[in-house]
Amino acid sequence: MKEALHSRTDAGEPLTLCSLRVGDGLYGIDTRLIREVLGTVTPRHVPLAPMYIAGVVPYHGEVLTTVCFRALLGLQLRVGANCVVVFDDERNEQRFGLIVDGVGGVIAVQSTALEANSSGLDPRSMELFDGSYKLPSGLLVRLDPRKLRPSHLAGCGLFATLRQERQGVQECGR
Amino acid sequence: MVERWRPDKGKVEDLTKEFLAESQEGLERMELCLTELEKRPDDAELVAEVYRAVHTIKGTTGFLGFGRLERLSHAGESLLGALRDGKLAVTARQVDGLLQLMDGLRSILLLIESRGTEGQRSTDDDRALIELLAELKLEVGETSASPPPATQNQDAYQPVSSPDACVPVPLTALSMQDKTLRINVEVLNRLMNLVGDLVLTRNQILRCTPDAQNFPALARRLDSVTAELRESVMRARMQPVGHLFRKFPRMVRDLAKTCGRQIRIEFEGQETGLDKSLLEAVRDPLTHAVRNAADHGIEPPEERVKAGKPVEGLVRLRALHQSGSVIIEVIDDGAGISTSRVLAKAMELDLVTPEQAASMSQREALQLIFVAGFSTAIQVTNISGRGMGMDVVRSNVEKVGGSVEVESRVGVGTTVRMRVPLTLAIIPALVVESGGECFALPQNALVELVYVPRRDVEQAVERMGTTKFYRLREGLLPLVWLDRLLGIEQNQSAEQQDLYIAVVESEGRRFGLVVDGLKAPEEIVVKPLSAELREIGVFSGAAVLGDGTLALILDVAATGARAGMRPAEEAGNIAGVQLAPPDTPRIELESSMVIYETGKHGPVKDRNLEQRAMPLSAVERIESVPLSAIEYAGGRPVLQYRGELIPLEDEGEVLSERIPHVGTATDHVANHDGETATVLICLRPEAQRTRRVGLVVRSVLDVSAGTLLAANATVCDEQLALVKERVTTLHRGFAQQADGPLNAVLREVA
Repeated sequence: MKEALHSRTDAGEPLTLCSLRVGDGLYGIDTRLIREVLGTVTPRHVPLAPMYIAGVVPYHGEVLTTVCFRALLGLQLRVGANCVVVFDDERNEQRFGLIVDGVGGVIAVQSTALEANSSGLDPRSMELFDGSYKLPSGLLVRLDPRKLRPSHLAGCGLFATLRQERQGVQECGR
Repeated sequence: MVERWRPDKGKVEDLTKEFLAESQEGLERMELCLTELEKRPDDAELVAEVYRAVHTIKGTTGFLGFGRLERLSHAGESLLGALRDGKLAVTARQVDGLLQLMDGLRSILLLIESRGTEGQRSTDDDRALIELLAELKLEVGETSASPPPATQNQDAYQPVSSPDACVPVPLTALSMQDKTLRINVEVLNRLMNLVGDLVLTRNQILRCTPDAQNFPALARRLDSVTAELRESVMRARMQPVGHLFRKFPRMVRDLAKTCGRQIRIEFEGQETGLDKSLLEAVRDPLTHAVRNAADHGIEPPEERVKAGKPVEGLVRLRALHQSGSVIIEVIDDGAGISTSRVLAKAMELDLVTPEQAASMSQREALQLIFVAGFSTAIQVTNISGRGMGMDVVRSNVEKVGGSVEVESRVGVGTTVRMRVPLTLAIIPALVVESGGECFALPQNALVELVYVPRRDVEQAVERMGTTKFYRLREGLLPLVWLDRLLGIEQNQSAEQQDLYIAVVESEGRRFGLVVDGLKAPEEIVVKPLSAELREIGVFSGAAVLGDGTLALILDVAATGARAGMRPAEEAGNIAGVQLAPPDTPRIELESSMVIYETGKHGPVKDRNLEQRAMPLSAVERIESVPLSAIEYAGGRPVLQYRGELIPLEDEGEVLSERIPHVGTATDHVANHDGETATVLICLRPEAQRTRRVGLVVRSVLDVSAGTLLAANATVCDEQLALVKERVTTLHRGFAQQADGPLNAVLREVA
């Protein structure tokens, strides 16, 4: 149902995006696709999991798998607590969390103002990003949670070989 | 015109749901009785039971306005009435007709459940069946319902021409019944009382401050009520496995008929309890396994005769409890699975290379039948063995945290063994630490714990090739460092640390899991992991610990497999790594004893300390119990333990030494707050059941084997053994069991 909403907004309706900060980048996700934003949470690391899996966190009596957006972008990992944005799918079967550095305010955009991904993007970014909006402060990259699901990431084959140093530099939360 | 009274819609819906659940139960009984009736056509009680089931359905249908169901059940009731009154004799044709009636009734019930109506399409017409039942009523019973002898029915043994001939009975169709559970009102009352206790305790806790004098007592009370409540809910959810088994006689009967076999089905352990949700989860895998046993396992009669076997094949379903799990076995005395043909097929399908196939043990080769698509291919090429669905069997059993294995001997038969946990929800586990992270180790896989101080590590750990071993009593125990296996980085090298070895065993793999530290044992609530994390293979779930952190639950069998551990019977073949003599495969476990210290009356207590032992297999848990939690009934110490009142045996008078004067209950709590006693929670087999008793000891010393000393009445009239060069008295209570575990120990040690 939520995905149906998403496609309807593409037709030109005003859209509200929740802004997310990761590294120096600003990203946005349709607020209607977000189930909940958890405050600072330290995921429990899962050994042998793919690099983009940040770990698991307790969530309303369940165990929620979280995806590390920094790992997907190839950035150094942060040590310690992070923000977790929780997403559901239509049937609540693939609930997952996205670990970001911080969650900002809600930004209203016109869906028609969306610029498609540039062909110059690397294949991973092309897979992750869903276009961008030009804001006075810079670009806001739109994300589609469906492309961030662990099952999708495992299936697309672009992130299986992701290698990074687990011991990242400690960055202050902004 | 008189208008027919109709109850309101909501009430009808409730009544319909109740009617569906009851009718489906009735049809289950009917199915069982009809398959029995074929064997015992003269049993009037069976006919009466079938009559009652159909009569009950008919009686309610009129009220609920299900005309189609009413007409069909009426036709069946007429025939059954004639059979019950002795006007007709039961014949095979009539049993067939009644089974068709049952299928017809069941399909209408399913329609009502799914659509709310009985169905009006042309395919939903029952005229043919009603005519058949009327025709059967006019027949004079001449032939017996028992199947004719093989020699008179050669046509039945012709190969099945159509692949659809062996159509499975839709066992999974009983959805309304699956969603409901009958609970004794007594159990509900008990639950309600416990909830009342829980609310009361909560109110008291809310009113008091953490430093209040009665806070520890309230916390203990909360603990006790919670444990009791949990136990009661789990018991309420337990259903006998027999509920599942009773669907199979009909299925096996139909398969036998269509596939030209003669098959007898037997049950064992039907009373074994299993959580309701797990019972549903194993329904499909069990159906696959039974169908395969009947369809592919049991040979055609002529082949059985040639092989010198009875014409009638046997499929046996067996259920039993085993160390926190329920084992369900499907055993057939059929042709067995030829491993050479399985391997040939696996090579043909590029699943294994010829080199791998050559090095595979029989056990490994047999596991190939669980690979998806493998078994179907076997069936197509008519290799004797298991048919399609074994991959489904395995994946379904694994979904609920179970495992499945197969054993087979060509010409003798096959056993498919499913192991499922007693409950999905809560399991006892030991929390261990490795690489700074916590992991939960299920207690049912834990055999014992070994601590090796840092100074002894070099001597205690031996190396053979790339594998390290610890010498544990009779044999070498392969060691697996958990942090290395999981790729967790360590700041300190293993040689610089004390060794904590958790000796674990699962699916025939026994090894020592080396961890950095042991934390408290906990009862953990199992939470499933997402599919991506399950795929890693070594974690069966996660749990929130008492301190609020998350721990991953280790799948011991998968951990062993990942570390390259092989099942014991295969490991025994590896040169130099023989864990136990080949003729006594279980000697190591059976001969392990818990060694403890206790004291007896004497002028100087400390000089009268005595080393005693009892079989490890008899000890369920070792608990540190606050003295204030020990109560007295009839002058004897008792302990409220997990919803059960267990007697305590203070054989060394440890309690009487620490609690010399028993005053009022309040004095007792106040005087001994903070002090604890070590209690071995033991299982003592008695005439009818296993009884739990608590043995109060001074301290637990070790787990070890020993050498039995010859009886010498002049020294002592108890059974003595030498354990680590110290005289040890074997616990009399367990030594007296004629077939008890200690006698097994004694024989082995002797």
